Amino acid sequence: MRLRVEYRVGPELRFLANLDMIHAMERALRRARIPYALSEGFNPHIRLSLGTVLPVGLWGEREYFDIELATELAEEEFVKRLNTVCPQGLTATRAIAIKPTSPSIMGLVNAASYAFKAVKADAKTRERISTITEQPELVVASRGKKKNRPKDLKPGIFKIEIKSEAQFDIIEAWVSTGEPVNVRFDELADLLSQFGLAPQQLVDVWRSGNYCRVGNKFYTPMEQVKSP
Amino acid sequence: MQQKIIRDILPRVSKPARYSGDELNSIKKDWDFGGVKMLLAFPDVYEVGMSHLGSKILYGLVNEQTHHLLERCFAPWPDMEAIMREEGIPLYSLENFQPIENFNVIGFSLQYELSLTNVLNMLDLGRIPVLTEDREPQHPIVIGGGPVCANPEPFADFFDALVIGDGEEVILEILNLVEGYRGAPRQDILMQLARLEGVYVPSLYKVEYDSEGHYQSIKPLDKETPRRVRRRVVKSLDSAYFPEKPVVPYLSVVHDRAVLEVMRGCQRGCRFCHAGMVYRPVRERALQTLLEQAEAQIRNTGYDELSLVSLSTLDFSQVKPLVFELVQRYGAEGIGVALPSLRVDQFSVELANEVQKVRKTTLTLAPEAGTQRMRDVINKNVSEEQLLEAVSAAFSSGWNALKLYFMIGLPGERDEDLDGIIDLLIKVKQRGDELARRKVEIRASLACFVPKAHTPFQWRPQDSMAELKEKRHYLSRRRLKGIKLSFHDEATTYLEGAIARGDRRMAQVIHRAWQKGCRFDGWSEHFRFSAWMEAFEECGVDPDIYVTRRRSYDEALPWDIIDVGIDKEFLIQEDELADRGVSSGDCRMEGCNDCGVCPSLEVELQIGEGLDAIKG
Repeated sequence: MRLRVEYRVGPELRFLANLDMIHAMERALRRARIPYALSEGFNPHIRLSLGTVLPVGLWGEREYFDIELATELAEEEFVKRLNTVCPQGLTATRAIAIKPTSPSIMGLVNAASYAFKAVKADAKTRERISTITEQPELVVASRGKKKNRPKDLKPGIFKIEIKSEAQFDIIEAWVSTGEPVNVRFDELADLLSQFGLAPQQLVDVWRSGNYCRVGNKFYTPMEQVKSP
Repeated sequence: MQQKIIRDILPRVSKPARYSGDELNSIKKDWDFGGVKMLLAFPDVYEVGMSHLGSKILYGLVNEQTHHLLERCFAPWPDMEAIMREEGIPLYSLENFQPIENFNVIGFSLQYELSLTNVLNMLDLGRIPVLTEDREPQHPIVIGGGPVCANPEPFADFFDALVIGDGEEVILEILNLVEGYRGAPRQDILMQLARLEGVYVPSLYKVEYDSEGHYQSIKPLDKETPRRVRRRVVKSLDSAYFPEKPVVPYLSVVHDRAVLEVMRGCQRGCRFCHAGMVYRPVRERALQTLLEQAEAQIRNTGYDELSLVSLSTLDFSQVKPLVFELVQRYGAEGIGVALPSLRVDQFSVELANEVQKVRKTTLTLAPEAGTQRMRDVINKNVSEEQLLEAVSAAFSSGWNALKLYFMIGLPGERDEDLDGIIDLLIKVKQRGDELARRKVEIRASLACFVPKAHTPFQWRPQDSMAELKEKRHYLSRRRLKGIKLSFHDEATTYLEGAIARGDRRMAQVIHRAWQKGCRFDGWSEHFRFSAWMEAFEECGVDPDIYVTRRRSYDEALPWDIIDVGIDKEFLIQEDELADRGVSSGDCRMEGCNDCGVCPSLEVELQIGEGLDAIKG
């Protein structure tokens, strides 16, 4: 059977690279004695696919993986067993059974949301964000493969929302992670800084979700599947 | 401080998970509890230190079984060091993020001569004076342990005390003593430490040199301090503590697997081998004990591989039943068994075949020398026939790549011995061409021999850099298809030799080299030999006195202060047998060779079948 699992990566694990996270998850699955399916061949490994790659330095509110099991296991039982052995900071929040033919998370996810928690320096955050959204182009130096090349983020930014707390603003941006442009969290931070939000004001950055965007709607990978 | 490090510092360094702690099974005790606070400092990067078994044992022992606290700290990589110095962040522990100067005791694990500049650098980053004589009452007591301490003199000036032998035997005695003498003058604590068996307090001894500047003697300054420090050994490994819940790093480390220590010690008696002498005698664990430890390790870590470690695991009496049982119990879960060191024979290769879960990539064997004559000199009791049998077994069962370990610069080495290495490699390659299904790849690693203290070759001259270079050129002059040779660096070898058999004057050289910016000397990208040579020059110390000089049997040796339990007569006898090209046997098979360890340390050989019989 195949399970899709939503999990949280706490701030204490923000420095793990993707390979470290894969190892941590595999080890947790073994400690939990989950009846995982193994691949064939000389070097059998757990049929696990961490579909969302969390950038080093960020923690993640809702990340996802798929796993194949050799025998049936109730969804809640899976979550319970895994959580008893997970290291501090790693928590499975829910699991659902999915069809063997369902598309992979990797193929499904095309958008993500990043949250920036900033110290309130003045009352102008809202104004700054509207200025950003009104621009015809949003050019930053690329942080990705084509390093330092100018890159227009505009077509990849779908919406930006602000939640204000007493001392902090939380700016959450929904962006594209593939076509037409892959928007990175550090490029977003550069953009915010261009429009007057100083990097020193940022006290926390995390990924708040991963989505399959269809038109103007953002579905989570859990919603975008039909149960078998 | 923790928040600043996590928010402002770590995002700017490579591999930040080296410095963030909080791994599975790490133990963070309340900082304000009652016991002694000790820091276990490893003078190399996280990935190397977290692979070290001895540290795992001490960490679990102190934290699980006592009210004392033991936290970890590793050498920061140069990028992290630069930022720490720039931002004024002191070196800190990974559990409570406490500056290391807040600990009562700091224990360095000394596994390799070339990690010493890192010790100084870590102390300095922790705002602790690097020299013992400069430390004040409030500073931690700095101790060291590990195999390098078998000759502690070259770094005696940096350590308040050094532990000789198996650390788990002594560590609790030290912590309890420090607790009992809380508030006492530093000097009193050191004098008490010196009375513990297996603890050497260098500042309580006076070193004398003769008119030519050769080391003459080390004498205690007072009557209460022992004239020689006797090595401590775990008498029953089977009942000794072994961690059931080791820390599981998030980062990929050098040895990223669960570990069983099947035995300690090795009595093959290879005359070049330091570990083979200073970890005597052989003490095994019972099969039943190991199976229980395996279950705990696997269930508490989640690793997919369990490694059976020791100096020579294939000599463990119960290796076959253990391997078969482990494969049967855990194979279906995708958990495999690893044998890190193979003996050069067919049995080993066949057993490796049984367990090799991973794709058959490379098999490693260590014949050490190219001719029978040379193997007899070093007492590596392996014949060419055995090697070729092992190789044939490997190739016909699917291995395509083979790695062979050799040494050059061995005592009395001749051109024919070097030719012998090449001839042997060609024979091995031929076997591969006959038996393997694909083209085989042979890789030979050629290390340069460094004579070590407390071995039969401790009096021998080490080859000079020029000699080693010439041998390297001699060996590389023929291009061999399908055979790759790789050599160790001659300069690194030379420095290792100077520290391995140096006396107390080496300490100022190490100090000076560190001041000149030397650190991570074991890492070729950071090793700066010219700075080291300047340090020797400026301190007026001629390294050749330690490295390339032949010593006589009656010369006083700086490491005579340490009694590892082996009689000097035995070492002399072995050295003389080497001259005559005569090998000697393994005492567990062929009777006692009178090395002296068992009677002098009041310990006995412990071999598995008997152990299990006792356990019933």
